[in-house]
Amino acid sequence: MKLLTHNLLSSHVPGLRPGGGFPLRIELGRPSELPPEPSPGYEADEEFLRRLHHVLLEVEVLEGSLQCPDSGRRFPISRGVPNLLLSEDEA
Amino acid sequence: MSAAEPGWFFCTAGRGLEPFLAREVRARLGATEVDCVSGKVFFRAAAGPGKLRQLRSGERLFLLLKKHSPLPVSGNRGKMLHEIKSLVIEDPKYWLDIISVWRKLHGHDGKTDDGSIENALALKRKSEEETNTASKRQKTEQVRAIVSEECQVGAGETCEAPARISRQECWAESRTCSELPSRGSGEDPAANEELGFSFRVSCRCSGAIARILTSQEVGRALGTALVKQCGWRADLRDPDLEIFVHLNDIHSVVGIPLFRLPLANREYIRTAGLRSTVAWAMASLAEIRAGALVLDPMCGLGTILLEAAKEWPEAWYWGADISDSQLEGADGNIRAAGLVDKIELLKVSVTALPLPSESFDSVISDIPFGKKFKTMSDAQLLPDLLQEMERVLRVGGTLVLLLSQELHRRVDGLTRSAGGGPAEAPAQAMDGLTRCAGGDPAEASDSRAAPSVDGNSSSLAQRGGEAILSRHFGSLLPEGVYAVSLGKTDAFIHKYRKVSGTGSSRTGTWSCPSTGTFPGTGSSLALG
Repeated sequence: MKLLTHNLLSSHVPGLRPGGGFPLRIELGRPSELPPEPSPGYEADEEFLRRLHHVLLEVEVLEGSLQCPDSGRRFPISRGVPNLLLSEDEA
Repeated sequence: MSAAEPGWFFCTAGRGLEPFLAREVRARLGATEVDCVSGKVFFRAAAGPGKLRQLRSGERLFLLLKKHSPLPVSGNRGKMLHEIKSLVIEDPKYWLDIISVWRKLHGHDGKTDDGSIENALALKRKSEEETNTASKRQKTEQVRAIVSEECQVGAGETCEAPARISRQECWAESRTCSELPSRGSGEDPAANEELGFSFRVSCRCSGAIARILTSQEVGRALGTALVKQCGWRADLRDPDLEIFVHLNDIHSVVGIPLFRLPLANREYIRTAGLRSTVAWAMASLAEIRAGALVLDPMCGLGTILLEAAKEWPEAWYWGADISDSQLEGADGNIRAAGLVDKIELLKVSVTALPLPSESFDSVISDIPFGKKFKTMSDAQLLPDLLQEMERVLRVGGTLVLLLSQELHRRVDGLTRSAGGGPAEAPAQAMDGLTRCAGGDPAEASDSRAAPSVDGNSSSLAQRGGEAILSRHFGSLLPEGVYAVSLGKTDAFIHKYRKVSGTGSSRTGTWSCPSTGTFPGTGSSLALG
């Protein structure tokens, strides 16, 4: 799972506040190599853009989980594929 | 690659894909004098085998030798056989010329072939290097491909499938030379090049001719005549040269296949799902541009995504499915094709996509046929599928679906028609002769004279759909329907464009997650 994909995913556990369930928290051992917010004028910062491109498109999460920030529900990532299916009782 | 000389070709196509193929040969090969009929596209192009092999919507590609009007049919079999022979059989010089043209085409990387026997043997040796299982698989695939083609050639033929199998049998009886197990001729290469050359005649008769003569009879007669004329050796399993003869009510065509394997066999697909030609055709309708986000929410083994990502690599692709085995197969396919960077997989359900609204430029999907969903029938689930697919599509984006006949009828009642008022989705039947000439799938939306072929669809739509289909998708504008053959069954490709619903002022910009809406928090559908 690329970070780009993570940016598109949200938790659809029922009963969340509007706009909730996003962003999902990625749980794995490695700390992020990027600053938490892009600095102003980042479009012109070649070095930053390179690192951003790398993290967004070239880093893959193979095993881990995504946690819903509101409900705490964890969605596993296995062999690079995130599983966001809700069970029958959850949906 | 050195510039190739222009040549005449024809390419067979599954029923319904002829316009796609016609468009493709023009676009990819700069082909001229494109002429399509049911099941075939004829064209003239100056392209080498590398480029020709890239054709994606065709089945098998042939060098065109002869194309004449249909043979006059009389009750006199002998006379007809004679006429067929005079059509096909020529003096040995003619065949040598053809062979040298064919070899030149295959003369690796543009090196001109001097037509020596060494080259023929080298080609044979190369094919021998393939393992037994590989060549067996090719053969099976060839047969499968040919048989499936034959299913598609018009109505009225009586002896297609049996002819294919029994042709081999009939050759076993009438072979004049025994098959040598070793490929080397063992003769003086300099003398009598023809003797070392093996061939096979593949004949297809349909229409009026098939009532008088069977494909196998014609094939046998031609084969015998060629052996007599040129001194070649008949070889069913691995001939140097294959000669195709198609005789039907439209024309009499003689050609030589350019490649051993059908074009539809993709070396980049490990496990096949949907027929690759249909998958490619669907992707070609989606108008994938650089930087586009494309989603297949029921991707199965990922065939559509593979075809799209190979052809339009400057876009991003996501595939979703609920089945582990399918996702595993898709993952294997993606790795084998080297497309791990381009295609991402998700285990999510199409009825509840955890994706932001209006975030994708294209949604392309093959809606599974049959009872895939245990609790409800396909027709009942169709509105839920459409709702989610419509939701994640940005305004101006394209939706391309492959539907079974049943779903095709039902979906007409759900979507808004182009002309307003009673829904009348322009259904373009692939009646190749009239529809193809100048017909371009990209221009399907301005369907001036597109009579609804499936007469049922309009009337169904006018009834407002059936009781269970109560929702109405006003924002999906139909832009074309294409009937295609999947071999045993027929299916329909539907293309839609998402337009802004009434009262919505959203433009076609990519909606980022913080401003879009998510499932369960209110639908952004424009109703009515």
